[in-house]
Amino acid sequence: MKARYQNRIELLQGTLDLLILQTLQWGPQHGYSISQAIRIGSGEILQVDTGSLYPALHRLERQRWIKAEWKISENKQRVRVYRLTPTGKRQLAHEKSRWEQISDAIAGIIAPREGSNA
Amino acid sequence: MNFFWRRKREGLKEELDSHLQMAAQERMARGEGVTHARQSARRELGNAALIRETTRDVWGWRWLETLLQDLRYALRMLRKTPVITGIALLSLALGIGANTAIFSLIDAVMLRMLPVQNPEQLAQIEFRSPTSPRPRPNVTNPIWEQVRSHQDVFSGVFAWSPQTFNLSVGGEVNKINGIYASGDYFSVLGVRPAAGRLMAASDDIRNCSGVAVLGYGFWQSHYGGAESAVGSSIRLNGHSFPIVGVAQRGFFGTDVGEKLDVAIPICAEATLAGKDSSLDVRDDWWLSMMGRLKPGMTIEQADARMKVLSPQLFGAVVPQVWPAKYQDAFRKYTFSIFPGASGTGGFYGLRQHYRQPLEILMFVVGLVLLIACANIASLLLARSAARQKEIAVRLALGASRGRLIRQVLTESIVLSGGGAILGVLFARWGSALLVRFVSTQQNQVFLDLKMDGRVLAFTIAITVLCGLLFGILPALGSTRVDAMSAMKEGQTQATGGRSHSSALRWIVAAQVALSLILLIGTGLFIRTFANLMTLDAGFDRNNVLMVQTNIHNAGIAEPARAPLYGQMLAKLRALPGVVSASQCWMTPLSGYQWDNSLTVPGHPLPAGIDPDTFLNWVTPGYFETMRTPLLEGRTFDSRDTATSTPVVIVNQLLARRYFGSQSPIGEHLMGGSEGMLRQPMEIIGVVQDTKYTSLQEHFQPEAYFPLSQIQKNVAEDSTFEIRTTMPPSVLIPAVRDAMASVNKLASLQFTTLKQEADDSVAQQHLMAVLSGFFGGLALLLTAIGLYGVMAYVVTLRTHEIGIRMALGAQRSSILRLVMRDAVIVLAAGIAAGLLGSIWITQLVKRLLFGLTPNDPVTIALAIAAIVMVAFVATYIPVRRAMKVDPMVALRYE
Repeated sequence: MKARYQNRIELLQGTLDLLILQTLQWGPQHGYSISQAIRIGSGEILQVDTGSLYPALHRLERQRWIKAEWKISENKQRVRVYRLTPTGKRQLAHEKSRWEQISDAIAGIIAPREGSNA
Repeated sequence: MNFFWRRKREGLKEELDSHLQMAAQERMARGEGVTHARQSARRELGNAALIRETTRDVWGWRWLETLLQDLRYALRMLRKTPVITGIALLSLALGIGANTAIFSLIDAVMLRMLPVQNPEQLAQIEFRSPTSPRPRPNVTNPIWEQVRSHQDVFSGVFAWSPQTFNLSVGGEVNKINGIYASGDYFSVLGVRPAAGRLMAASDDIRNCSGVAVLGYGFWQSHYGGAESAVGSSIRLNGHSFPIVGVAQRGFFGTDVGEKLDVAIPICAEATLAGKDSSLDVRDDWWLSMMGRLKPGMTIEQADARMKVLSPQLFGAVVPQVWPAKYQDAFRKYTFSIFPGASGTGGFYGLRQHYRQPLEILMFVVGLVLLIACANIASLLLARSAARQKEIAVRLALGASRGRLIRQVLTESIVLSGGGAILGVLFARWGSALLVRFVSTQQNQVFLDLKMDGRVLAFTIAITVLCGLLFGILPALGSTRVDAMSAMKEGQTQATGGRSHSSALRWIVAAQVALSLILLIGTGLFIRTFANLMTLDAGFDRNNVLMVQTNIHNAGIAEPARAPLYGQMLAKLRALPGVVSASQCWMTPLSGYQWDNSLTVPGHPLPAGIDPDTFLNWVTPGYFETMRTPLLEGRTFDSRDTATSTPVVIVNQLLARRYFGSQSPIGEHLMGGSEGMLRQPMEIIGVVQDTKYTSLQEHFQPEAYFPLSQIQKNVAEDSTFEIRTTMPPSVLIPAVRDAMASVNKLASLQFTTLKQEADDSVAQQHLMAVLSGFFGGLALLLTAIGLYGVMAYVVTLRTHEIGIRMALGAQRSSILRLVMRDAVIVLAAGIAAGLLGSIWITQLVKRLLFGLTPNDPVTIALAIAAIVMVAFVATYIPVRRAMKVDPMVALRYE
């Protein structure tokens, strides 16, 4: 069972980081709302596994790309809220450009431009 | 730190809880029921504990956390089985403790460097004679003075001679250990003063009045460490020396095993020895030399240079009194330089004498530790079998095998760590005890047994090694589990159990083999000691008080000594409780000897037989007091005077050597260079052979002269022997008074012949007692191991035995079934042990007396002991197997 979680982290590594950083760009959020934001933002396609989300959050925090603090939510609940740091912003820009490169490259292979194989 | 972690862990839990709650709330907001919403949210989240763990992994110090977790778990598991833990801890404590104790002795005797400045630069200066293969460590004072003024390879050289000094004047001796040291002794070594100043070159010039430097320990014990000691004076052998300072703490001199209480300059020897001074004697070998190498100089370079200097240095101090042949040999002596960082092996040869015993003991305690490890391994293996179900469940719940192995190994390291802590305590006590064993009345061994880095590293290394050794099998064995079958009751015993019990059999067979080797060794050492203690030494060692007497302080000239001795003897003979008393020069078994080449005119010795004969002068009554049987002729009596015919008594060996089966009575003996031996002496008696310097030597040809006819060599020191009707020590006060009534200034030292005999076999005693102890321990450990394994095997087969019995098997066939296991294991172990011992016991050959390494009696006894213990250890579980009630056994499943 443990092995399954580890596999997912590896699969989503990098990509999940990018999604989290991107989500936090619009302001501080707690873990649950991040997962909801990704789910809704992707049109219910990307289901972020909790077992991947929290290790990823804590890893990003360790790398000082995001910062966490305890806040009281609107439901009077103590929640841990994550916020993007300045280095995190730079990292986001970096990851974004890398993502674009990768997706361009993959798109180029999967859907060749018209006429190229004529 | 711990608090910080807990908060962080709790924070993570709260974070996930809030996640769960929000998910549930959202579902409820969408209209789901409370219970359903919560359940779905939880399902969606997954395994919360595992998520927490994976997240904590990210924090980075997870390894420490799991380590603590494993430690806690290990302690819990160890507490759960107190008996196994207790046995394991005790055997580890003894095993590791014994290893640490012996190693700290090896460290102190052989490895450790002297506590001085740059000890690696020190070199011992010895010399070789062209005729003898071994270098000789001691030189004469004239040779030392040559080296001091002419050598050019050392930045400094020094010489010293260990000496015991007497603090009291007359009466019973109060001995301290000191040295004669050359003026540069302390400065070349780089020793600093703890008080006052140390000796300087200017303190060591001929005709000096002498100064004294105290050792730190002596200063503390005799002066309470008072500064006022410096400036006061100390009486050594009746002469007073001003104390100028105290050597630095921890400095014990340059001879391993000897304590440095006081140092006086070499020139002071003239004061103490008077006209017997050795300062200008060219064949009195009493000084050791060392030098400090010049920077950049190697031992080899120094050796080469000193060899070049040798002819010049030795040529200047040839002993003129020697025959020309020996003088030529003397001129060919060459210096040999050896590393001196660890000091010398001790004047009494402590290092040389105990190197092999210590190495053997190290091997022995190593074996004991191995047996203990094997024992613990089998205990843990048997226990891990009982834990198989737990482990299967944990594997099924997602624990990785590596993690479980780590956990079991942590447990065994904790166990060995605990054992090591107890062991170190045991070692501190044990090594001090060992030093007491090695010490004799004549030679108190002093060793600095502090726990230094090397000993500590050794202990930690064997502890970890031990933990891994006894942990690895159970760890691998217990985690090699098929979770499915293990969880099904009953299957455990059929599958996992079998492979366990075969591993167990191997371990126990190895234990039997190792124990047998140890037991054979033990038997050899004990029988060696028994041989020495029961051999006929040629005298009766019980109830003889020995009074070593020195009349130096009385200042009596040689002609007046014999009459004085006569008065003393008369007083002693008159004491109540004295059966007989006599006097001799060379105390039997004291290690000292007086020997010379004797010849019998008309009876030449065959070539190749050494004409060396051991000599002694004695008074009438000597053989009666010692109870040495007279075989022929008569002993000395009042007829033998200074003016009567010179007479001599010889032992059987000498008589047989020269005269074969003929009677030697009336024949004549002469020879040697010493004045009194130049004239022919008539043989008047033959006595039984006696041991001369020690019990383990072969009998030597011996010749005894009467004191009344001795003209030279009526020494200031001699020994009175008193045969008593009561325990000898009871007589000491009366003897002290009697001697004082003749001369108050005579120094006395009391011992017994029994003590002398015991001291001369101190090393064999040590080996017998220690190997006996460790052999017994090994046997006990093996018995426990055998018992544990048999009990385990029987438990595993209870079901099978039940079925067999239900089907009508006889008790005897059940007995065969179970015993077959034990017999096979035992036989395999004994065979392996015998093979091993044939090879290993050859190594101890030199330490044995009166038997060969393959002594059949010893081997038979050792096997008998093992078989007997094995029988007792297997009897209890086997009896249980035979009492198995078929109904109970079958229902058990």
